[in-house]
Amino acid sequence: MIVLGIESATDSVGAAVGDGEVLGAAFAVTGRRRHAENLAPAISEVLARSGIGLERVEAIAVDVGPGLFTGLRVGVATAKGLAQGLGIGVLPLTSLEILAAAAFESGWQGTVVPVVDGRRAEVFIGRYARGGEGCAPVELAAPTRHAPEAVVDEVIGVCEEPVLVCGDGALRYRSLLERPGSVVVAGDALGAPDPAVLVRLARARLGAGVPLLGATEVLPVYLRDADARINWVQRAPVGAGG
Amino acid sequence: MRVLGIETSCDETAAAVVADGPTILSSVVSSQVDLHARYGGVVPELAGRAHLELLTPVIAEALERADADGTPPVDAVAATCGPGLVGSLLVGLSHGKALAMAWDVPFVGVNHLEGHLFASLLDHPDLEWPLVVLLVSGGHTVLVLVEGVGRYRLLGQTVDDAAGEAFDKVARFLGLGYPGGPAVDREAVHGDPAAFAFPRAMRDDGYDFSFSGLKTAVVRTVEKTPEAPTADVAASFQEAVIDVLVTKARRAVADTGARGLCLAGGVAANSLLRRRVEAFCGADDVAALVPSLAMCTDNAAMVAAAGQWRLANDGPSPLSLGADPNLFFSFTG
Repeated sequence: MIVLGIESATDSVGAAVGDGEVLGAAFAVTGRRRHAENLAPAISEVLARSGIGLERVEAIAVDVGPGLFTGLRVGVATAKGLAQGLGIGVLPLTSLEILAAAAFESGWQGTVVPVVDGRRAEVFIGRYARGGEGCAPVELAAPTRHAPEAVVDEVIGVCEEPVLVCGDGALRYRSLLERPGSVVVAGDALGAPDPAVLVRLARARLGAGVPLLGATEVLPVYLRDADARINWVQRAPVGAGG
Repeated sequence: MRVLGIETSCDETAAAVVADGPTILSSVVSSQVDLHARYGGVVPELAGRAHLELLTPVIAEALERADADGTPPVDAVAATCGPGLVGSLLVGLSHGKALAMAWDVPFVGVNHLEGHLFASLLDHPDLEWPLVVLLVSGGHTVLVLVEGVGRYRLLGQTVDDAAGEAFDKVARFLGLGYPGGPAVDREAVHGDPAAFAFPRAMRDDGYDFSFSGLKTAVVRTVEKTPEAPTADVAASFQEAVIDVLVTKARRAVADTGARGLCLAGGVAANSLLRRRVEAFCGADDVAALVPSLAMCTDNAAMVAAAGQWRLANDGPSPLSLGADPNLFFSFTG
């Protein structure tokens, strides 16, 4: 089954397409708020690179977070649009399980704790053990939101050692998380969810019988309530235009 | 040519299919008004989340009602790319690009303000140029001279609050509910518009507007005379806003030699504004282009119509198009 993967849950925007092996992947580490500008061209590029037309894609896999709300909206809306337009289903995967899958693919045998930067001095966290064939991670605890200072006590402390911590939150709060001999913080290579890993994980899940969802059913995992503030000022600056 | 339009710039999730003409084949609007009412205004994060939940079924409904079931179902996709709430714009823009890729048809980003202008064109296909457009909404209050489709000259705009914003704020202060425009309009029916002489800032001076002082004056008046009937305050406030809007619009039409005045935007639904515009246009023997109530509020038919025109004149937008929350008219001079 040919799967198109969409990744834009963090600062990194990317896409990959694969059937068994990943045939094309484009990955751009970008500044904030450039998700909409970068995602559609990235999809277009991986399709061109792999020689696979969209009409041959049979499922969309998308990172549904947790992560940046802006990125999640762009990624999930794009996945919905492609699925609706092509008449195919969507497999949602979390940013945390994609990060964990990459860690297990790299050979790590212990527990993996992915940490995604949630901004506002908060991180999103999961706990995973190595799975069987295909290295698909086994979820030990549902994703949760924490203050970076509390991660060691609330999450890592209850994990079986050794623990690998990865993700952009792990890089940002490295000094708070690292414990020589028991807690290793992964480097940049495991800093952002990789669209090629996303596609491989999606294929493993689909192979294990996880069903595809309809475009309407797929929604982001926000892990934080909406900020109920009213934005009165939404007008063009005086003298704009030209 | 059939164009699917998508509109998610604020608190309406909308999709429509428009054919050449432009002719509306379907127009579906799912309002989030109830979601935001308890806050007295649009909450951006809630709006963005709701668009993501609602847009797929809204588009499916628009395609079904238009009997657009071919391969591809439409010949192009148009989506609002600004101005508006960025988190809301991104949902429609991303979904629209993806549909265009899936169907292998052109994609075009649409300026929401130009969309409002096309809302009037959809209702009045036989237009004579030039026209003065008074675009009044929760985000904008602007007078534009339109010399032809796509050829805009800025006459004036608000220097502080938009007119619709003033309605929302005063309605909230008076406890009339949300959205403020219809709430004030309803309350004002029972009130005396001459009960309070609220200020008409800059009424006889240029084409720019200012409404923040008016809102402050309403608050001060109610604090000083708490026994004042709410209906009288609402009616006097509405009279002051509409007086300024109509006086300036009428002068703009006379000064520019325009053939008519075109009302656009959510505040164009205000009953007093509609009556006054029709009255002065009749007296001055110029055309009054007052859109139907369905075309005043945000909808996607206007986006599809504007997209159809932009596509024919400027070609498709690149897939790298981003959302611009502050997008304005592109002026020719």
